[in-house]
Amino acid sequence: MKTIEHFYSADLSWVENFAKQYNGKVEGNFIIVPEDIQSGTRYFLDCGEGIVAYYINVEYKKNLHLIQKNSSNDFVGFYYNLTDGEATVSVHNSLYNVSRWQYNLSVIDGTLESDYNVTKGSKTFALCIFIKKSSIREYALNNRLKFPNIDEILNPEKNTMIRFDRMSNESFHILDDLRKKKVGGPVFDLNLVGTVHMLIANYLKKLASKRIIIQTVNQPDLTSIISTQMYLIEHIEDHFPSIKLLAEKANMSESKFKTLFNKITGNTPNMFFMENKLLRAKELLESKQFSISQISDRLNFTNNSYFASKFKEHFGVSPKTFVQDL
Amino acid sequence: MKKIFHYYSLTPEWQHKLADQTETKVIDNKIIIFPEKIGKGQSYFTQVTPGISVFFIDLSLNTPLKICREVSENDLYIFHFDLSEHVNLIKINNEDYEIGSYDKLDLAIIDNQIESSYKPAVHERTFAVRILVDKSLLSNFIAKYSSKETKHQTKDKTQKKDEFYHYGNIDSNSTLLLQSLKTKSIHDLSFDSFIKGTALKLLGNFFSRFYDLENNTNPLTQAENEAMNKTKDFLLENIYGPFPSVVFLATMAGMSESKYKIAFKKCFNTTPNNFFIKEKMTIGKELLKSGEFHTLTEVMYELNYSKLSYFTSKYYELFNRKPIDDFVKKGH
Repeated sequence: MKTIEHFYSADLSWVENFAKQYNGKVEGNFIIVPEDIQSGTRYFLDCGEGIVAYYINVEYKKNLHLIQKNSSNDFVGFYYNLTDGEATVSVHNSLYNVSRWQYNLSVIDGTLESDYNVTKGSKTFALCIFIKKSSIREYALNNRLKFPNIDEILNPEKNTMIRFDRMSNESFHILDDLRKKKVGGPVFDLNLVGTVHMLIANYLKKLASKRIIIQTVNQPDLTSIISTQMYLIEHIEDHFPSIKLLAEKANMSESKFKTLFNKITGNTPNMFFMENKLLRAKELLESKQFSISQISDRLNFTNNSYFASKFKEHFGVSPKTFVQDL
Repeated sequence: MKKIFHYYSLTPEWQHKLADQTETKVIDNKIIIFPEKIGKGQSYFTQVTPGISVFFIDLSLNTPLKICREVSENDLYIFHFDLSEHVNLIKINNEDYEIGSYDKLDLAIIDNQIESSYKPAVHERTFAVRILVDKSLLSNFIAKYSSKETKHQTKDKTQKKDEFYHYGNIDSNSTLLLQSLKTKSIHDLSFDSFIKGTALKLLGNFFSRFYDLENNTNPLTQAENEAMNKTKDFLLENIYGPFPSVVFLATMAGMSESKYKIAFKKCFNTTPNNFFIKEKMTIGKELLKSGEFHTLTEVMYELNYSKLSYFTSKYYELFNRKPIDDFVKKGH
């Protein structure tokens, strides 16, 4: 177990210290960490407007314990965490599991001290976004958002923001897109800043749509719903398994299952399934290894034209046009 | 036809000129809602980063309109992405270009130093995104562009080095981004961030495709590669026999003959028959030097040839030597 004490901030002052703690170094925008701790990439970028992005795509070779003690409290951290393996955050003595199939989006105020634990062998893909509180205020003012208590929300003495949530399916795929890009260079920087903006857009959309806060759902129910989501993703190439089967898996009545699934993911099970299926189809098309009819068969669409019409409905472009201009 | 004149800058103040001429106002320095007289729709402008701004227009015209862009002092490039489902006209240097809909060309890059005008079709939904980029950010790109323009497949015309325009296709992933933008409302809370993100990703896609163009060789799929290797192995195993025919090999690979021949050429850079002959000759050379044969005719029969002159000529073609020069006779 290696313990690292570090801080983050919404400028780049944390980078040097962070690399030093790992016995690593900073090269350009990369943080190089010794291979015996982890392999992979860490990349940071100042996106302007008081926003810093920190990209992590690594595999851990050791159990790691990170203690975050920030010296400045003027920022909020958004952690999009897609860890395959085990990763937990504890704040105020409560423990949250933050890997891919758990709370994969955490919003934590800079004033808070937190402990992050990750186990050996975990593969982490994460994007951390640090935003200055003053930028949030400015943003709200510029866009005439009505937060009657914005000053209270942003005042570190009165309120600390902390929220554990799940990112929307859309955000997940935006991140997945970024993951495919080669890190470094001006083209990647454009993509990274673009991704940050789109994630913020999604987050705002979520705030505006006033979906229930996931933290308020009781734990076993949430776990069951997530496990059915996981089941759907694992069987994304098969037929839709039926609500009955899914509800049984979740130990709920069909109606409860449907309502809760909708509340948590913002989508019906079938829509969630179809959306992911189409995104899978898009990935397969991008690989250029298969023909359209091969893909439609593989994903168990009844026929090609149904596949094409669904694809067009979702992306606005037919699969054929998509392949042509790839 | 009504004409509107405007210019671009990276900062929002230019919008007032556009708004004045359409008899409307700019809201929040970002949004222009066009009056019913001209058409139904709106535009949106925002600064993404210092040096990059984006202008978005979504409009159904009721009267014909020509939007003329004047040259301004700002050193800019304008990336025009058009996703209207009909044809609009863009006029650059007195030449009309059709732009819009997916099967037409739908991407134009224009230098701010060249005047251009945009003429959207009437009674159709025109949907375009323009990204304004400071030239200093793109110096690297321009240098590379000028050196590569001859290789570029798309129809483009280059002026002097510092004044150019380009005309081409949007790549698929960008089309998807633009399509999803189409479904958003500019009054949404998240729109500003969304369009900023979209603009940056569009540029990212454009440049990554642009820099990738050199190694864009349209490779074979994995399945095709496997089939190629399978037939190649078959040829090598039967090197002493006659050439099995392309029909046979194509069936083996599960392809049509023409597809097979094209794929084979892509994979091994030669035709199946030439490949087979070359391998035969390599074996022939070994046999000749082995000292196991009494005459050339014996070697020839071993390789399943029936005319010595044919064997000799093919051998000469490949190694520039006659078989007799390499022949080692079997000792008694």
